Amino acid sequence: MQLPGERGRSPNGARPDRSLTVDWRRREVLRGAGAAGLALGLGACGDARPAVGLPPAGARPSLVPMRLTLDQLIDVKCCIRPLRAAGPNLSAERLGDTLVIHNYGHGGSGWSLSWGSAEIAVGKAMSTLPREVAVIGCGIIGLTTAVVAQRAGLRVTIYARELIQRTRSFRASGSFTPDSRVALAEPAGPAFGDLWEKMARLSWKAFRTYLGQPGNPVEFGDSYAVSESPITRRHWPRDPAITGSWKPGGLPQQNSEFGHYNDRIKDIMRQPVDLAPEENPFALPYAQRSSQMYFNFASYGHALLSEFFAMGGHFINREFHEPAELAGLPEKVVIHCTGYAARDFWRDDTIIPVRGQTGWLVPQDDAHYAVRHHNLSVHSKRDGIVVMNNLDPSGQDIGEMLGVGDSMELPDRGPIEAALKTLQPLFGRGGRS
Amino acid sequence: MNARLALLGAMLALVAAGGRAATESPAAGTAQGVYSAAQADAGAQVYAGRCAVCHGADLSGTWEIPALRGRFVGNWGRTPLAKLYDYLGHAMPQFAPGTLEPPDNVAVIAFLLRENGAPAGGRPLPADRAALERIVLDPVTPH
Repeated sequence: MQLPGERGRSPNGARPDRSLTVDWRRREVLRGAGAAGLALGLGACGDARPAVGLPPAGARPSLVPMRLTLDQLIDVKCCIRPLRAAGPNLSAERLGDTLVIHNYGHGGSGWSLSWGSAEIAVGKAMSTLPREVAVIGCGIIGLTTAVVAQRAGLRVTIYARELIQRTRSFRASGSFTPDSRVALAEPAGPAFGDLWEKMARLSWKAFRTYLGQPGNPVEFGDSYAVSESPITRRHWPRDPAITGSWKPGGLPQQNSEFGHYNDRIKDIMRQPVDLAPEENPFALPYAQRSSQMYFNFASYGHALLSEFFAMGGHFINREFHEPAELAGLPEKVVIHCTGYAARDFWRDDTIIPVRGQTGWLVPQDDAHYAVRHHNLSVHSKRDGIVVMNNLDPSGQDIGEMLGVGDSMELPDRGPIEAALKTLQPLFGRGGRS
Repeated sequence: MNARLALLGAMLALVAAGGRAATESPAAGTAQGVYSAAQADAGAQVYAGRCAVCHGADLSGTWEIPALRGRFVGNWGRTPLAKLYDYLGHAMPQFAPGTLEPPDNVAVIAFLLRENGAPAGGRPLPADRAALERIVLDPVTPH
């Protein structure tokens, strides 16, 4: 992450196009404890005018615009979130003399809840006093579970078809979104909220231990929402015209059925703040800023795998086709972390596929922030600029119902390209003043 | 001579006592029902007043504070309950160590056993270190 004073400079030291940045020096009131650093930073740019104008406390002096042209688009990834109406399966069951502990079905919150969920699964495993465990699956849930088990002193073997880099987990967007399609409110019940909160808080603490590690596996950045009109939080009241519900098959019929839990941790996931017109660098009159924790896949995957192997972990390349095969493993405690694949492997048809896709632009190291405009977003991370278009094919905002029941896992570039075309003009001159 | 015989007798008695202690322990495991339901209820009250503030009402702990479920059995498994009794007696609660009275101490242990899936029995867990030395924490099967 750049220091405030470094913002607005490209890697070769040249000034970016000033028309695209905010002139903070209009402000004459010195506010905020970070003022000295900002003044130094601006002064170091060699501007003739004195650096007396400073941004309000908490603001950033400028943003380098993201390069959102089609020539930058280098990848489109698609994946399926494993949504279960009742929330993740964390139960345990006997299979002959083998104890199987499940840890799958985290919807769009697998990354975000990975540490807390692993803690629960490993806790269950530990209560049987094993010396060794098998972990099935090597996505973010499986690999994190394996590392948590090792940290608890167990010998761990991962059995999986692929290492994390080729799993669905690596086709996520990579932001801390702990209540993204994680459960439906009614079937999950009020007790799930408590469990969710434990998992989210523990994961948050765990992720924070990766801040500043080599390669920045976990980072914080500013995330901006921009709009033509004042930005309010979207609510989805129940639509009485839709008479069906998640019952009996677990397939949600409308947005109001999804469980929302983020308010339980708003002491750590802070609410967005409105930007004053003079703080708004975008070409639309309204903007909000929030802080977003996110993951850089390449370095995070490397960090987890390195720890796993350094602690003596074994990886066995293997594919399973039916539950009974687990009873043949030498380990008699098995933690099952196959995510969406559990639908077939464990015959768990309570898993609802929720399709999602991301476009990836060439990484842009001088612009680490995110911008969202309605349902379109770009997020510049070290592993690339993630582009998302969360409108349905007819251009409608259908909220969390987007992709529900859709197990088509091939990417479609069209919506990504459309998002880039819409978002690119936002990086022009803006503000309400 | 008499003194020597007396000394020898005393030594033999010690050896015999030691041998008996070795064969007697461990005599029981927590899977056999070593606490009473009423004691666990009382322990829940003590827990709520003295332990829950840090370890959480649901015993799940935090990133910094040990959970008293799951991993707890892993950490204390196959260990005589006397060790846990001693630890709670001198180290907990951390903000007021040494203040857990023996009846409260065993009541909390009974509560922890219940919360970790060990069955209740007919008699309460005694606040008797020697007796607790002969009871080990058994593994449990999670659900």
